[in-house]
Amino acid sequence: MSEITKKLLENTSKPLGAPALLVLEDGAVFSGTSCAAQGEVFGEICFNTSLEGYLEVITDPSYAGQIITMTYPQIGNYGVNREDCQSEKPALRGLVVRDMCQVPSNWRSELTLPDFLRENNVVAIEGVDTRALVRHVRDNGAQRAVLSTLDTDAESLLAKVRASESIVGVNLAETVSRSEKATFGIDDLPKTQAFALTAPAPAKYKVVAYDCGAKLSIFQNLVRVGCELTAVPWDTPAEDVLAMNPDGVFLSNGPGDPDAVSGTYTQVEKLLGKVPVFGICLGHQMMSKAAGAQIEKLKFGHRGGNHPVMNLRTHRVEITAQNHGFGLLFPTLGELIPEESAGETEHRDDLRFWVEKCVAPVVRNEKFGRIQLTHVNLNDGTAEGIAFLDIPAFSVQYHPEASPGPTDAHYLFTAFSRLMDGREDYLDIDIAADRLAGWKFGGEVNA
Amino acid sequence: MPKRTDIKSILVIGSGPIVIGQACEFDYSGAQACKVLKADGYRVILVNSNPATIMTDPGLADRTYVEPITPEFVEKVIEKERPDALLPTLGGQTGLNTAVALAKSGVLDKYGVEMVGCDLPAIERGEDRKLFNECMEELGIEVARSGYAYSMEDAESIVAELGFPVVCRPSFTLGGAGGGIAHDMDELHLIVSQGLELSPAGEVLVEESIEGWKEYEMEVMRDRVGNGIIVCSIENFDAMGVHTGDSITVAPAQTLSDVEYQRMRTASLAILEKIGVETGGSNVQFAVNPKTGRMIVIEMNPRVSRSSALASKATGFPIAKAAAKLAVGYTLDEIVNDITKATPACFEPSIDYCVVKVPRFAFEKFQGTDDTLTTRMKAVGEIMSIGRTFEESLGKALRSLENGRAGLGADGKGAESAMQGAEFDDMVCRPTANRIFFIAEAMRRGMSVEELHEKTGIDPWFLARMADMVAVEQALSGHKLEELDEDDMRCAKRFGLSDVQIAHLTGSDELSVRAHRKALGVVPAFKTVDTCAAETPSKTAYHYKTYDTCESEVAPKTKKRAMILGAGPNRIGQGIEFDYCCVHASYALADAGFETIMVNCNPETVSTDYDTSDKLYFEPLTFEDVMDIVDVEDPDGVVVTLGGQTPLKLARALQEAGVPIMGTSPEAIDLAEDRDRFSQVLDELKIIYPAAGEASTLEEAHRVAEHISFPLLVRPSYVLGGRGMAIVYDNDQLDKYMAEAAKISPDHPVYLDRFLEAAIEVDVDALCDGKDVFVGGILEHIEMAGIHSGDSACCTPPFSLSLSLQGQLRDIARRLALRLGVVGLLNIQFAIKDQVIYVIEANPRASRTVPFVSKSTGVPLAKIAARIMAGEKLADLNLPADDREFDYFCVKEAVMPFGRFPGSDVVLGPEMKSTGEVMGIAGNFPAAFTKTQLAIDYEPPRGGEVFISVNDGDKRNITAIARSVARLGFSLVATTGTARALRASGIECEEVGKIHAGSHTILDRIASGEIVLMINTPFGSSTNTDGYEMRAACVRHGVSYCTTLAGAQALIAGMEAVRETGLDVIALQDLPQWEG
Repeated sequence: MSEITKKLLENTSKPLGAPALLVLEDGAVFSGTSCAAQGEVFGEICFNTSLEGYLEVITDPSYAGQIITMTYPQIGNYGVNREDCQSEKPALRGLVVRDMCQVPSNWRSELTLPDFLRENNVVAIEGVDTRALVRHVRDNGAQRAVLSTLDTDAESLLAKVRASESIVGVNLAETVSRSEKATFGIDDLPKTQAFALTAPAPAKYKVVAYDCGAKLSIFQNLVRVGCELTAVPWDTPAEDVLAMNPDGVFLSNGPGDPDAVSGTYTQVEKLLGKVPVFGICLGHQMMSKAAGAQIEKLKFGHRGGNHPVMNLRTHRVEITAQNHGFGLLFPTLGELIPEESAGETEHRDDLRFWVEKCVAPVVRNEKFGRIQLTHVNLNDGTAEGIAFLDIPAFSVQYHPEASPGPTDAHYLFTAFSRLMDGREDYLDIDIAADRLAGWKFGGEVNA
Repeated sequence: MPKRTDIKSILVIGSGPIVIGQACEFDYSGAQACKVLKADGYRVILVNSNPATIMTDPGLADRTYVEPITPEFVEKVIEKERPDALLPTLGGQTGLNTAVALAKSGVLDKYGVEMVGCDLPAIERGEDRKLFNECMEELGIEVARSGYAYSMEDAESIVAELGFPVVCRPSFTLGGAGGGIAHDMDELHLIVSQGLELSPAGEVLVEESIEGWKEYEMEVMRDRVGNGIIVCSIENFDAMGVHTGDSITVAPAQTLSDVEYQRMRTASLAILEKIGVETGGSNVQFAVNPKTGRMIVIEMNPRVSRSSALASKATGFPIAKAAAKLAVGYTLDEIVNDITKATPACFEPSIDYCVVKVPRFAFEKFQGTDDTLTTRMKAVGEIMSIGRTFEESLGKALRSLENGRAGLGADGKGAESAMQGAEFDDMVCRPTANRIFFIAEAMRRGMSVEELHEKTGIDPWFLARMADMVAVEQALSGHKLEELDEDDMRCAKRFGLSDVQIAHLTGSDELSVRAHRKALGVVPAFKTVDTCAAETPSKTAYHYKTYDTCESEVAPKTKKRAMILGAGPNRIGQGIEFDYCCVHASYALADAGFETIMVNCNPETVSTDYDTSDKLYFEPLTFEDVMDIVDVEDPDGVVVTLGGQTPLKLARALQEAGVPIMGTSPEAIDLAEDRDRFSQVLDELKIIYPAAGEASTLEEAHRVAEHISFPLLVRPSYVLGGRGMAIVYDNDQLDKYMAEAAKISPDHPVYLDRFLEAAIEVDVDALCDGKDVFVGGILEHIEMAGIHSGDSACCTPPFSLSLSLQGQLRDIARRLALRLGVVGLLNIQFAIKDQVIYVIEANPRASRTVPFVSKSTGVPLAKIAARIMAGEKLADLNLPADDREFDYFCVKEAVMPFGRFPGSDVVLGPEMKSTGEVMGIAGNFPAAFTKTQLAIDYEPPRGGEVFISVNDGDKRNITAIARSVARLGFSLVATTGTARALRASGIECEEVGKIHAGSHTILDRIASGEIVLMINTPFGSSTNTDGYEMRAACVRHGVSYCTTLAGAQALIAGMEAVRETGLDVIALQDLPQWEG
């Protein structure tokens, strides 16, 4: 870097960082400068299209094993409020941004994002043409990548990345789960969000939550609808869970390849039908696996806060937060039941077929009886949610807790409480009626 | 469920003339709606009085009524066309108000017209603050604490509870007109008294001040089954207290954390549901306390708005198009995302760039008015810029404004660098049009972000970004251009510096900077606006430029390319008319086999709709930005003559850079614009023109004045909209003018022309292909010469010129067009005095009257001009004879923004002041003229007092007019001299004293509404005369007035015509149309 450039930047808020490189396994090279911890990290390259909510993304345990690219160029603008974090420590491997903000502005901010990343030893690069990177990943698929501030020789990095471990087949959930069980209740809700969120409902349901890398906001949402949570490790035996005599079991989100998380889904198979079960993201995949379905790896995952999902039961579209690289192949759950699927006998790969027909098709599952497709992604026709009709269980692929993202699907938490109440119509909730649930407006004083 | 089949025809109401607060964004939305409804097979009927719009092109709707947007006229259209449905949400406040009036009066029921897109109770809940507040209370969402005042006493008692400062908002006014912040009792009295008068309901909301809070806007869409999405969030750079239309705004919101953003999003959707917006777009505005996060709803508009246009351009999501489709029954998931063509429109756009909007003001046109920005909108236009960072985007935005600036200062321009002391502090603290430049200067002088945040309320995030820009600029200053290497240059560009700024800072020139930069390999990348942050491939070539290093997304050239340079921000003198011309050119060139490329930075326009041209570049219209696009697009021709002065002034530089200019050559442009060379041409052709001279010093000016004698029309060279023009009657006025003129254009001399007093002014728009000339129309002005042609009402065909005179005008136009070498459009201004024709000036480009003439004659001049530029010949176009006779008259009238600028002189003169125009079509001239008056005032005077006060020169001619006024049943009031003249002719009138003699009778009667029309012809340019006060009072109280006898004559004749026969509505499709 020339002397003049150093001088140009001298009095700005952006000191010139050390050179850094991002190299993908197909040979693509992106250069930039270091903007957090120094180091060399390997992971799957992916991108998230949320416009705000970078902190929630960075601290989402489901990003274990991945190097995240934020598509919005200027990241860190409103700093960091630690209570917005989705886990105690970021699990991602690295962060790629176009421009990192050193001087944030927000009344709730405690520290800058670069400081937070350094504190947690997260390697990050800025100055990257992130749009070019996203287009590359979009066209060439998710792949291994290396991000380094130590080695800036592209050839050397390419050799290293090609020798690195792939996340396919790796049990990453294990790495972000917990070793001991722990309770989670009203006292654990973030105080600094109280300005925006109402006081929680009184604790009413005892829920055991399998923690495969759960986002804290999921736990918070469950608490807010009246759950008293016991979070347990990812591979806790079903018998132990049932011995706790819970009102319901929750299956959390988590990172990586669901096929590798047999320690969870084999237990889920034993729980289904015995207790009300609700699964989100990996939890949804665990329930699908438990029912014998196949999971596919998407070319590039769904990661963002703007995916339209059609609720086939209510024909309402929810704008959803998504973060998954694998997805359920709905037809593998079983044969269609024509009488409950508008006479259709043939599965369709593109599930938007059912959207156009305004039908929520039902299959006959060998293990658990009838399963209904409840939610479909309108962008690509993939499965987004299922409901077990003969046992009390349902799940969604996307994130009703949002954080970050739109909270249209908040009603699913309400639905879980209704499921535990034993209501048949537990899922039939109007989004609009549920829209303001949990939110608080007004009441603050002016400073 | 797809579209409704139970309705077959839909009435769309436009927004009428361009006024402050309601500009051409509604042409954009209305045009989109008409297109999409027609494509869906509906019969579309349109009412809009604004001829300069694309939406009123006869091809866009099935039946186009260029008629006043009043309940009376719209009812006539309904009666004639019998539409099944009315879509009221795309025509701004005007369209909505008219629809409400029609619904309330039972007209819609009477004719069985269903309101689609929004129903009456929803509109009322959205617009009536009381109902709105009740709704918010039911939702539990906070609004500012407030009370309603119907009298001054009410206001005082509310303030007793809330304390100062308070915000006052009159109900049901356009763009917040009449509102303001009161900090003390005096201000309260002033604002509330005005507000009570302005509000149709006589109601003013008085509420707690949230000045200094952060301001946000959410653009929301909802369909009939209840799906709702946020299209875009917008954060205001300026804190609460400045109208959002006057604020710099940024998309997406920058400083909200997820929990804050989602709370706002949820509230927005809940508000739409609560208000009952059945389908369509709305916007919801919020204020957020920067210290506590307390969030308050300011207001919501249950219709497509200015910010919807901005949001559409900022995200690529076509809100108006979607709103129209939703109104006819589609749901969001049934509409395909236009940009990706693969995903549904039911999603929330993700953007991977930063958008900055900066308003464009025209305070220089309204001397004497307070230039502080308040809750009452004053901007006349806006620009938008796109960059990967706020820094890059802001730099672009500030060089897009067409105000001579090259970015955020550092260009050797502007008043900020020389100003000191209290005056400087005031300009930093007080929100004005130029405050951002003063803030940057304050940073240069060492003021900290914290200090500036304290003084301005602007969020530290924005200020810190600016401080970085300033730091880079300051560090660059003093370096030599040759010293800069690739990294340095890229660094400077990434912080938003333009080539012109770099040239200024390094003591170089723009061309050298460009050459050096390109030699270093520092060229921009072109990225795409695609609604999805590149997640899905995009089919639409909507580009912006950035100094990201990697990758450009411009598709390779496969066929010949034509590039059209747009008009930039709307301002007085350069408005929607030029956009109309550019859009037509784009259509015509696409038909001629070109791949069309539009370059423009105005988010309100149809030209910047991504489907108007094959490719859209949302970029400033500067040499640097245009050349960067030329470098990647390699156009076979560039059109510079249809976008007004903005592209025209680039013509020479582009040609010198080797860019092929389509149509009239820069050489020919220069021949017409250079006064000396043009005079030689006129001499050569034996065409008469007023005596003229030029002067660079005061002494020279006096010599010229002596030679050609007073009165003189004086102006600087190369002007737009009569900027800096004046008529001077004596040496004193000349001295004063020369002292001020130096500021306007220091590099150019001042021109002095003999002013032809009481001449008739005529405009001619003609087409020339180098061989033949087609005169598109002859426009006879209603105001006398000396009033800027853009402000003057005019009529085509001429109502008083003989056929032989018209023949002579055409002959001159022919000879002049051929001699100048025009290939495309030519506008010539004539003055006719004592049957002698003088040429005042010729402009070899599209004029502001092109759309009006096109609609009046059925011949689309801009479209044909583009075809000529592409090589076609007039002889092959099957045009009608240009001396054909018409059996109808079309009148264009200007719309003035004086009501927004209290304190400024409202007298018309050679400096253009109007913002927009309306058109009236009728079988005779007075009826057509009357339609234009109805289109502007909405309510013609039917009885009461008419006040007449004319100067001595007009006293003889006033008597015939006064007699007609009396015959129409008005009583007459006149000042002493005029009264004497009237009585001498046997006309009864009441005599009142003059103001300077101590009488306030007239002002009182104007205020009380007793006087309904004023005829007052001005004398001289002083603002301290009785005339000034009276006209100002008329503006304040909405009283019609005429400042010329010609105007008064037409107005009175029109009133007579209305009383005798009434006025019919006429569809453009029933007038002769050229079938190319």
